Amino acid sequence: MELNCLGMRCPLPIIKLAQQLKNTEEVTLLSDDPATLPDLTAWARMTGNTFTTLGEHRYLVKKL
Amino acid sequence: MSIAGSVLRVGSVTTNFQSESPLHPAARAFLDDAFDRGWADPSKPHQSSRQTAILLNESKEIFSHHLGIRSEQVEFLADPALGFHLGISGLAQPGSQLYYSAIDRSEVFAVAEGMDSTKLPVGLNGIAAYPEASEKDVLAWQAANGETGIISFQPSTFKGRIFVDATASGPRLRMPDRWHAGLWNSQSWQGPSGLGIFALSERSAWKNPLPHIDHNISSSNFSIPLAIASALALEGYVGDYKAEKKRIEGMNSRIREFLHSEIHDVDVAGDVAYGLPHLLSFSILYIDAQILINKLDERGFAVDSGSACNSANMEPSHVLAAMGILTHGNVRLTLHPTVKDEELKEFLQVLKEIVAELRQ
Repeated sequence: MELNCLGMRCPLPIIKLAQQLKNTEEVTLLSDDPATLPDLTAWARMTGNTFTTLGEHRYLVKKL
Repeated sequence: MSIAGSVLRVGSVTTNFQSESPLHPAARAFLDDAFDRGWADPSKPHQSSRQTAILLNESKEIFSHHLGIRSEQVEFLADPALGFHLGISGLAQPGSQLYYSAIDRSEVFAVAEGMDSTKLPVGLNGIAAYPEASEKDVLAWQAANGETGIISFQPSTFKGRIFVDATASGPRLRMPDRWHAGLWNSQSWQGPSGLGIFALSERSAWKNPLPHIDHNISSSNFSIPLAIASALALEGYVGDYKAEKKRIEGMNSRIREFLHSEIHDVDVAGDVAYGLPHLLSFSILYIDAQILINKLDERGFAVDSGSACNSANMEPSHVLAAMGILTHGNVRLTLHPTVKDEELKEFLQVLKEIVAELRQ
């Protein structure tokens, strides 16, 4: 499932991502906010979820 | 509309946790005198000049005593930020490599742009490992980080020249055993803004990187009355800090315990045992810092933030990003010696309420 957060500013992409993960195991997040990469890193450490960077502004996030 | 009128209207301030603070009372009490007696050019032969020179020398003695440098090493800068270029570029030689930390100030990054340089990564604890390097290399060494309070490891293994950024630590930390240039910011001890202190351990290791025609280290026209006021602020601040240090450490620990037990999903930077106790940075998951800060302000608490939404360039704090600390929902507190225990207690309750409201 793809979550398009392009153009959104922090913390919206992370909030929307967390909401989306309530219903699904895996999300492809599209986000061009400069805070997204550092925040995904911290969020993954805090919540135990994982992510990989697929390309520019594109991340694959998996629920714990 | 007069400026005085505008100032009066925005007057009644709240509990201040911002990095800036009003001038220390010891400096403020002497400010009129400093301007009355320290206005002349100390290099001229008149009585007024001699009086200014005496005051300036006494001020240098105070800086020397509290900053751990010799009084003849004390140089004043009207723009503290200029000291990064003066110090780092001045210690560099042809073929020098600059080493600096990913959580250094952006002024260091700007200087590094024009040099062969290596940015040293930091871990979650904010600590960088310094290489041995060669004798002609330069290390920009931040004594403590101004956002998180994290105290750096001593640069004892580094073989090159060391620029000490003491702009956040001020008089609170000792200079390392070996250093070549140092920079302080008067605001870090409740002194006036627009004044930096710069020092060289020995002139021979340094070459002036600015256009110059004489032997002076800087041509910047600093304000002598403000330098005198800053010395008095430093003396007063050191006394306050000594008296209040244990209490401030206790406040820092209490905030950390509160965040841990009362608000879930908070990312706190660093550890109070390895940091300056008056600084603390934490980020609250799923919270918009801009809204949080406005709501805290409405309730009478002024705090800083390193979140992108709160910065001029919409970029998150490079310090938080480099450490891997959450960058949104960030709150940065400076615990000035004047902050009362009850004010902190009230702040924490208000913070908890607002976070609960925003997370709904």
